[in-house]
Amino acid sequence: MDINIQPILASWPFLAKALAMTIFVSTLSTLLGFAIGIIVGTLRTYGGQPANIVLGFYVDSMRAIPLLVILVWTFFAFPLLIGHSISAVTAGIAGLGLHLGAYVSETIRAGLTSVRRNQMQAALALGMSPFQAIKTIILPQAVIRMLPALGSLFVIAIKDSAIASVIAVPELLRQTQIVAGKTFRPFELYTAAMLCYFILCYPMARGVDRLYRRLAHLGSS
Amino acid sequence: MSFDWNIVWSSLPRLLDGAWMTIWLACVTMLLAIPGGLVLALLRLSKIRPLAMAATGFVEFFRATPLILQIYWVYYVLPAYFDVQLSQITTAIVGLVCNISAFNSETFRSGIVSIRQGQWNAAYALGMTPANVFLRIIAPQALMRVLPALASTWVSLFKDTSLVSIIAVAELSYVSLQIRAETYRILEVLTAMAALYWLMGYPQAKLVDWIHHRFKVAE
Repeated sequence: MDINIQPILASWPFLAKALAMTIFVSTLSTLLGFAIGIIVGTLRTYGGQPANIVLGFYVDSMRAIPLLVILVWTFFAFPLLIGHSISAVTAGIAGLGLHLGAYVSETIRAGLTSVRRNQMQAALALGMSPFQAIKTIILPQAVIRMLPALGSLFVIAIKDSAIASVIAVPELLRQTQIVAGKTFRPFELYTAAMLCYFILCYPMARGVDRLYRRLAHLGSS
Repeated sequence: MSFDWNIVWSSLPRLLDGAWMTIWLACVTMLLAIPGGLVLALLRLSKIRPLAMAATGFVEFFRATPLILQIYWVYYVLPAYFDVQLSQITTAIVGLVCNISAFNSETFRSGIVSIRQGQWNAAYALGMTPANVFLRIIAPQALMRVLPALASTWVSLFKDTSLVSIIAVAELSYVSLQIRAETYRILEVLTAMAALYWLMGYPQAKLVDWIHHRFKVAE
């Protein structure tokens, strides 16, 4: 078995651009997922029964349908419904964000409900408005408790962005496939891509653990 | 834009075959990944350093890289460079089992570690052997604690089986994408695929919530 890293060296600007695309797609889909998740999680916790049922249906559906199916549907079927096409990158970010949003909302909800009810009652008894109470009393405690789960969701977003290769988003896995197909060196290229993802994800996962251990005491009540 | 939903009914037998394959893949993977995860967890907890380090490396590697890339890697690299010929289904199962075993091992390890040291000490004091302590004292308690996490892994595994469609294993996603390419009824077929996944996955998600509620560890 001979190993030839020449193809990687020859096409590294192409692959570097793909890596940048992976980071771009996972960052934007994380931002979208957090925006959706914070709204859905808060509404499910404080928005009354109807909001809880409707949004709960969205969350459980996202937990039931594979990401690949959501991406393929958003990119191929959704444009037929609205009558004009959308770019692969847009479809990828939208699909990833919608899927991630459900998981973010569950984390937010678990964090908010973990703060004891008495805290809310005490804040209201002091004359705070519900919004004020959530902002100054509940959230600061809840956010610390959510941190490890939210941090690992970003790592999951990076890994999941590889699935967007199926709808031809020019991210790392997709472009690796192209180079591997051209040069007939799948071993070197897929291994290099694997290392890229590992170097991206592993320190982040460990970093979140470290950070959490230093901040954990701030979340206790 | 007109839609022709008849195509869904006429291809339903093929879609159901695909759905059956999805269920089969998930079951086989989980059956292999539970012992796999247990072995990895015990290796990681063992006092023999090289074994513990190798297991840690395996687990961290499979947890920190995308499953879809792992499947590609097994598919292209094993046959071309190590002279191993595997069928597509075997390739899919190897990829899935390695990945899910890594996740299961973390679940089992945290379950085992969560049982207090006092339980070990007490069992030793009664004269039990280490294997006996593990099997009769630690494992039964740990099992209750890992059940919720194991159930969550099952649901994500069920969804992740869709990824093996990229190496042409005829499960639900692959079959649906094939029918889409044959008939050009894109919206109808893809919506039917999503609906089938939803029908199978939604009750599972609900069941997981119930298991989490039922087996929650109360401190």
